Amino acid sequence: MAFLDINHASKAFGEAKAVDDFDLHIEKGELVSFLGPSGCGKTTTLRMVAGFEVPSTGRIVLNGQDITDKAPSQRDVGMVFQAYALFPNMTVGDNVGFGLKIAKKPKEEIAERVREMLELIQMPDLGNRYPYQLSGGQQQRVALARALAIKPQVLLLDEPLSALDAKIRVELRYEIRRIQQQLKITTIYVTHDQEEALTLSDRVVVMSAGHIEQIGSPFDIYNYPKTAFVASFVGTLNQMRCRVVDAGSGKLALGDQQFKTSALVKAGATEALVMLRPEELHMGVREGDNSLNGKVESVAFLGSVVRVHLKLGEAVVTLDALNERKLVLPKVGENLTVSFPPHGCWVMG
Amino acid sequence: MRRFPVWSWFWFLLGMLYFFIPLLSTFEFSLRMLKGRYTFEAYRVAFQDPRFYQSFGYSLLWAVITIIISLLLVVPTAYWVQIRLPRARPYVEFVTLMPFVVPAVVLTFGLVRLYGRPPLILTTTPAALIVGYVVLSLPYMYRSVDSGLRAVDIRTLTEAAQSLGANWGTILKDVIFPNLRVALLSGIFLTFAIVMGEFTFASLLSWPAFGPYIEEIGAMRAYTPQAVSLMSFLITWGSIMLIQWVGRGARGQQVQIGGAR
Repeated sequence: MAFLDINHASKAFGEAKAVDDFDLHIEKGELVSFLGPSGCGKTTTLRMVAGFEVPSTGRIVLNGQDITDKAPSQRDVGMVFQAYALFPNMTVGDNVGFGLKIAKKPKEEIAERVREMLELIQMPDLGNRYPYQLSGGQQQRVALARALAIKPQVLLLDEPLSALDAKIRVELRYEIRRIQQQLKITTIYVTHDQEEALTLSDRVVVMSAGHIEQIGSPFDIYNYPKTAFVASFVGTLNQMRCRVVDAGSGKLALGDQQFKTSALVKAGATEALVMLRPEELHMGVREGDNSLNGKVESVAFLGSVVRVHLKLGEAVVTLDALNERKLVLPKVGENLTVSFPPHGCWVMG
Repeated sequence: MRRFPVWSWFWFLLGMLYFFIPLLSTFEFSLRMLKGRYTFEAYRVAFQDPRFYQSFGYSLLWAVITIIISLLLVVPTAYWVQIRLPRARPYVEFVTLMPFVVPAVVLTFGLVRLYGRPPLILTTTPAALIVGYVVLSLPYMYRSVDSGLRAVDIRTLTEAAQSLGANWGTILKDVIFPNLRVALLSGIFLTFAIVMGEFTFASLLSWPAFGPYIEEIGAMRAYTPQAVSLMSFLITWGSIMLIQWVGRGARGQQVQIGGAR
């Protein structure tokens, strides 16, 4: 039994099934992200853990105690919302101390805990301000401190950074991870931002249409996707329909150009869908790698990366080259030889 | 250089004249009690009449009771509709608009027929009058509270409070009511203004109030009713100004649930 067990939980709203047979076991101190597109059921699952939704079927067990039918106020779970949800009529200090006041803690204890929390979020001098006097990032820090002040068993974060601008989002992302690791608090983080999920998490749960597609470490999710959905949703992916030349030796062909893959190709198959990450492709020829010739369709300078779209046979593929000062940018319309290692691609179907 | 907005000012002044000329005329007439000179004699007479204070006091009492009952009825209802029964909103709105559709006379006779005989006789107590006033103030109180609830993300605030261990009572007391301060005060002042000047319910149910008093002295005297009417108007006007003032004062603590400042 893990610290938090979500046992085959499902949730239906009328005829529509929002979450279907969600089974996940989270260890103490782990940060698990629910990643998926809008409407995939990630927030509904989080809300079932929080107690705001009751599962249609399945049980939720926290630290050995079945909390499925408990009210949200009885679950010992802290929650941070996308919209901050700070109480506008209270100061920052009162917001942070609200849960402790409800728990009827002594005033001195509340004051001490509030001070501790404000230091944790690096806002020790802003306790007397009102939420409207804070920036979005500061408001979300306070919301985090408020959720943590009650020392919950589990911290739930529902897209906490979505309303913030890009720079603050990145800063706060690391801040959340730092605090989570410092307090060793079991955390569920809901996001549709794959970069956020991959950066923050010990494990990522990729969801689609109400069910789990894959559970794994960020490295595994990115490099070893188990389904076509995970492969295409997480990161950028080239998908090339290729002809199978020799399944046994992994020889495939794109148009009239042949290449090898170390991935297993189904015996007897005539066609295969080859997946290849843009960063596995390199400009020029490399010893021991597959080489293919294509025509450059566009070149986009993205700062640290240069993204090249080129036509290989019938497919248009994306190549990401790390930017460096000596890099010679290809020109649109010119022929370009690209290479990739046989183990860099994998095959589906 | 910007042109002076002649037409805007013209329509504005026309509107002000339309509004103020009857008031000024009433005021001017109320000052003519003593022949040949302007005095506040009508006001002095009004203030000397013990029934003025008595009827005013009764109306004040009815207003306070009405406000308390309206708040207890409307706030939880509007809150529940907002977070749990959003589909019921059109029906609740329809019910609260009934006083605009059904004339006060009809409402009063309805109350008399319903509560004037067993099993529940209320017409012998002020309860029937208060019930009538609560119904009469529903459109104003409900709309004020509802717009206040819509202005803040009440559902998320409720959930945030719940996740921190708060029960419904605490949520209403510590989170909902304080964040509805301006909306509640608007509802309170509007209800106050309506009850203070109301005539039909009090007259037909035979309970002392300020409205019937004005009507009664109007039948007997010429100048004093004008003075009292003007004072009644000033009470209404004062209430509306209070709403404006409170609303402006609260802007400093404006609610912000989401987004950077």
